Order: sequence, then C-alpha cells, then structure tokens
Amino acid sequence: MRTFLSAALDEARLVFLDAGVLIITVLAVVVYAFFYPLPYLNQVMKDVPIAVVDEDHSALSRRLVRMADGHQSIAVRAEAVSVSEAEALVRDGAVSGVLVIPRGFERDVLEGRQARLTAQIDAAYLLTYNTVLGGLLESSGTLSAGVEVARWRAAGASRDAAMRARRPIGLELQPLFNATSGYGTYVVPAVMVLVLQQTLLIGVGMAGGARRERAQARPQGGVQRGHPALRVAGRAIPYVALYAVNASYYFVFVPRYYGYYVPGSLRSVALLTVPFLLATVFLGFSLRALFSKRETAMQVILCTSLPLVFLGGFAWPVEALPQWLRAAAALVPSTSAIPAFLRLTRMGAGLADVARESAVLWSLAAMYFPAACAAEAIQGRKGR
Amino acid sequence: MTADVDRGGVAATAIREWRRIVSSPYLMLMLVVFPLATGVLMIRIFGSGAARDLPIAVVDLDQSALSRDLVRAIDAAGGVRVTSVESDAGRARAAVMRGDQYGLVSIPPHFERDVARGAAPVVTGFYNAQYLLPASLMKSALVASTATVSARVEIGRRMAAREPRTAALARVEPVTLDVRTLFNPHLNYLTYLATALLPALLQIFIVTMTVHAFGTELRDGSAGGWLASAGGSPWRAVAGKAAPYLVHFVALAFLMLGALYVRAEVPFCGSLPVVAFATVLFVAAYVAMGFAFVAAAGDLRMATSAAAFYCAPAFAFAGVTFPAEAMPAAGQAWASLLPVTHYLRVLVQQGMRDAPLAVSLPALGALAALALAPWPFLLRRMSRLARAASEKRAL
Repeated sequence: MRTFLSAALDEARLVFLDAGVLIITVLAVVVYAFFYPLPYLNQVMKDVPIAVVDEDHSALSRRLVRMADGHQSIAVRAEAVSVSEAEALVRDGAVSGVLVIPRGFERDVLEGRQARLTAQIDAAYLLTYNTVLGGLLESSGTLSAGVEVARWRAAGASRDAAMRARRPIGLELQPLFNATSGYGTYVVPAVMVLVLQQTLLIGVGMAGGARRERAQARPQGGVQRGHPALRVAGRAIPYVALYAVNASYYFVFVPRYYGYYVPGSLRSVALLTVPFLLATVFLGFSLRALFSKRETAMQVILCTSLPLVFLGGFAWPVEALPQWLRAAAALVPSTSAIPAFLRLTRMGAGLADVARESAVLWSLAAMYFPAACAAEAIQGRKGR
Repeated sequence: MTADVDRGGVAATAIREWRRIVSSPYLMLMLVVFPLATGVLMIRIFGSGAARDLPIAVVDLDQSALSRDLVRAIDAAGGVRVTSVESDAGRARAAVMRGDQYGLVSIPPHFERDVARGAAPVVTGFYNAQYLLPASLMKSALVASTATVSARVEIGRRMAAREPRTAALARVEPVTLDVRTLFNPHLNYLTYLATALLPALLQIFIVTMTVHAFGTELRDGSAGGWLASAGGSPWRAVAGKAAPYLVHFVALAFLMLGALYVRAEVPFCGSLPVVAFATVLFVAAYVAMGFAFVAAAGDLRMATSAAAFYCAPAFAFAGVTFPAEAMPAAGQAWASLLPVTHYLRVLVQQGMRDAPLAVSLPALGALAALALAPWPFLLRRMSRLARAASEKRAL
C-alpha cells in the first residue's frame, strides 16, 4: 500500500507541479474543444457557385436555372455563352460546376423525348463536389417529376394517381444518425477521442522525461522500493483521475455546448472510458522508457496523430485498409475507442453493442501493463 | 581575431548543424526514418483509392423474385455489398448498432405485387450519416439500383403495350442529368486526400525539427558556440542553421511529390515548375515559422507546445476536407496564417486543374510572405542573443 501511494504521489507531483505537462493535459484539452470545431461551425456548404450554359433559352430552361439557383446548396453565379468559357471558370476556381442545358431541351420535353442535361463538376474538393452534385440532381429531379406529373394529369389521372404512377418503385432515404449530415458533428466527436489519447500519451511521456532529467540531477533518492506492478498501478492514478474529468468534459459538456449531445447511457460511456484510459496510460508508460527528454514525447506523438485519424474508421472505412494495417492499427487504443465512443455518444448504442471494442481495449490494457512494469523496473534500477 | 571572425559564416554554421544532425540517432530518426515511414503509411492507407463493397443489410419483407432482383442491383452498384438479408428489422438495426453494417434497406411486404399493380411501393434506405463517406456511397447505390429496376419494370410494361423503348424511358425519367466529373474522374482518395495529407504531415516534421534545432541551443546553453561559428553575425547564424533543414525538407518534399505523382500514379495535370517553386516556398515558410516560435517563446518547451498547436490541427483548417469558403471568418483567418493552406491550394490549381499562373499568384504571394515575415523578428532576437553571448565572453 505504501508503495502504491508513494508512487501515485510521486507521479502526481510530476504531473500537477509541471507547467509543461499541465499545458498539454489541461489547457490543450480545454482549448481544443473550441479550436478544433471552429472550421466546421457552419456544418454544411451553402450556395456553392456554379455556372450555367443555357443553349435553349426557353421558358423551361429558365425555370430550371431558377430552381437550381433557389436550391440551398448551389447558387448560379455566372451565365456562360459556351461550354469552353464555363470550363475556364471551373479551371480558375471561380465556380465549382457547370450546368449545360442543350438546344432543344424544352422541345424534347414537350414532345415526350427524354431530355438530357449535362453537368460538369469539379472533384478537386469532394465535399464541394457532393454538394454541387446533390443540388443539381435535386433540381433536375424536381423538374423531371413536375414534367411527369403534369403529363399524367393532362392524360386525366388524379394528382395522387399521377404521383404514384411516376415510378414503379419509390425510394425514401432516411438518415439514422447525424440527420443533417453536419460535417462538424461527423468529425468532432471522433477527433475528440483521439485528442484525449494523444494529449494523455504526451503528458505521460513528458512526465517520464522530466523524471529522467530529475534522476540525472539527483541520482539517489525517490521511490524505488516495492513491486513494479504496484508502482505502475500507483503511477496510473493521477492520469486516470485527471482524464476521467477530461473525458466527461469531452463526452458530456462539449457535445451539449455544440448541441450534438445524444442522450444515451452515460454509464456505458463511463464503463468504456475505464479500459480506454488504462490501455492508453499503460501504453504511455511502456513508450516513455524510450523518451529521454521532456519534449521528445511531444515530438514523436505529434506526428502519429494524422495517420491515426485515418485508421480510426470514421473518415476512411476500415474495409478499405489493407489487412495487415488493420491488424497493426488495433494495437493503438484509439482505433477501437473512436468507433465505440461514436456509437455510444452519437448513435445511442449500449455497452453490449461495443462489447467487441471493449474486449480489445481491456486486452490492450492487459498487454501493456506488463510492458509498463518492465519499463518501470528498469527505471527503478537506474535511479528513478 | 578579425580573420577568425571572417572565417565563420553561413557555410561554417551549416556544417556545424549538419554535424549535430548526423551525430544524433534521434535526429536521424525524426528527420529521415519517421517522415518516410509515416508518409508510406499514409499512401498505404489510401492505397485502394476508393472504398468499395461496404457492408449493409437488407430487410426483405417480401422475399419475391423482384425483391431479390433489387438486392442484386444494389450489390451491383459497387459502393456497397449486401452482407445479410434479414426478415426482421430489429436484428438489422442491432447489427448497425454493433458496427457490423453501415445501414439497412427495407423492402416492404407485397413489394412485387404492389409494383405489378402500379401502387408504387416505397423502398426505404436507412443510412448512417455519422459516417459520411459510407452514407454517400449507400445513397448513390440505392438511387442507381431503384432507378435500374424501375426502368426495367416500366420498359417491360410499356413494351407489352407496344410503346417503343425510348418512349418508355422518357416516361420513366423525362429529364436526366449526365454528370461529368472533372479533374478526379473516379473520385480517387489517393488523388484527393493523400496529396493533401502528405504535405500536412511534412509540415509537422518541419516545424518540430526546426524548433528543436534552435531550441536545443537555448536549452543546452550552446548558443554562444553557434554564434561563434557564424562569426558573431546574427543573420549568418540563422541562415546557416536554416540551410541544412531547408535543403533536407525540400528534398523530402520532392520525394513526396515523386511518391505521389510517379510511384502512386496520381495524375499530374499542370505546371511542374510552379509546383516546385511553391514547394520550396512551403518548406521555407515552415522553417522560418519553426525558428520564430523559439525566438518568441524563448525556450524549447514552450516553443514545442506552441508549434504543436500551430501544426497539429492545421489539416482541419487547410480547407481540403471542409472547404475554406464554408468556414466562419475566424477559421478562414487562422487558415490563411498556415502555409499548408496556400500550398495545397497551389497543388490543386497547378497540379490538378492546370489553371493559368495568375490564378495561383495570391497563394504564391501568401507563401512568400509567410516565408519572409518572421525574419526581421528572428534577426532582432538573434542580435539580442549575440549581445548576451558576447557579454558572457567578456566576463
């Protein structure tokens, strides 16, 4: 018990009396919650500029242009006289798409031939592409439906029958979660999990570097007695305590603040946070044996963040990753924690639904604990 | 004495820095091994280029020939793969909750009969918009497959009534939209995302390592030796220290472009000289920024924290995944202070769209400004250091 407590106390001193560690584990955690969502505050793209090439100059073509302009996703910013002129506008980045209404468009529609519109859309930025594509498809689809219904009604069918006879099979698309397809609501909850992990790893590593620097200054003295397992357990306490607060900040306060909180089982979130924090802390303890200086942890951990975002399965489906990479990525807590927390905090899933990820996180904790003990034993022998 | 001072200079300082680098295994790791390893990792992540065959469930409450037709059509659309056909909606929803599937499609009872009667039954696709990319693939697959099966049914019906096929098509869809995708026709993620992520990754290494190069001189109290190697001249000291990093990271950046455009066969359409020029400015800007962080913070630890804040979330602001025009003003302002924003813009304009040079002048100008702006401040700070060092010597 003495070993456990004095190890906990010693590590607490390394964390809470060190401005550098506090900047990462407290200040950065608080600030990131406001800084990281900043670009995504508007959530969706609106009024993306497009150009129109109207070769038909008919009432119907003008109606289509008005419909496109009225769509919230796109705005008709330019009327080009030729396709090549419009293409130059796309190349210059002035507009992101071109709608071409061919000569004879209205006549084809009136005479019952299928009329073909063409769209050229800039795919350099995929969100812009999808926004323009959605806007143009919906505008032309609405026009098409209007034409068809008008035809049926002209043939004497009731409006309801006309609507039903439009297509043999209807399609309704319903979002299950994140109903507005908000970009921030998609990115932020996932990245917050990674921020927890990365700041925790950096904090653990920095404190470890400080401990080594301290050992070099005062080679004798300090906590070395007792079983390394007890010392590791003790040293984990300050981090688990601090990050329990940080986790509730990210999983409760921040979602409420941005209005994407999904009332779910907080108990499940708490129960998954335990293995997530333990796995991360023990991984940090194992890694920090390699960090000789205080800033080393920051430099090394920093450059893993970007790859880890794309191994977390939300921005890029895991199904598209090579098999070996999926296996290797499973060794990092965030790979399992991101999808699991997304389902708990965004989709209202329960603990049973994340049993697989929970098992992986507990296994990681169990796997990194002996490694952390070995690292601790070596450091204990060297001084501290 | 004067001869001694004259011997020092940019070259001497650069050689001193180079020796510091090659004698440190840690620096070799952070300058060579990690950038290459993480870069390769990024390319491997997006190696397949596109997400295909993402698992979804179908709840088929009809179990008819037509409903099975529709399931085959959904599969054939490419983006998604029907991995389970359930007769119970609850089980399919549970699978989505467990993360086994990205969504579910519900085919109503009496689907085939209702289609035959012209009652237009509605197929419902429940997609998980928390996962944007799978959601959009699933939506397109459903739009395409219901349209295909609809057209097949309608054409069958009209042709039985002896209407020509073209008229049948026009009835099903009076107006169609042919979409041509410009610059990245297959919506390849290697082209779209890896080209942006590699520079975003590189800037983290450039800033961290230039902060380290300058900051360790302060931490270890070796700034005097550094200045002496430059003959006491502040600007020579900074230029000589910057030179090895500039050369090394420009080389890495060119290697990165080669890995993308040659090895990974990302199509390059534009002006190589302009991209090369922008690449040099991009690296120079981050080297200057890295030094500026140390000059401002005055020590390695604070400078490393500030640098982390500057470059770790930079990709979110760079405007590739969520375009700059849609950001609030504060987000746009911060983004404009990041060289990577302007560099990625040039890469799109001059590597993808083959835009005229004039289009890229604002971005190139911003890069040049960010590369030059820190220098007056840096030099003032170095002069102070030089004075402090000479006073120390005088004592």
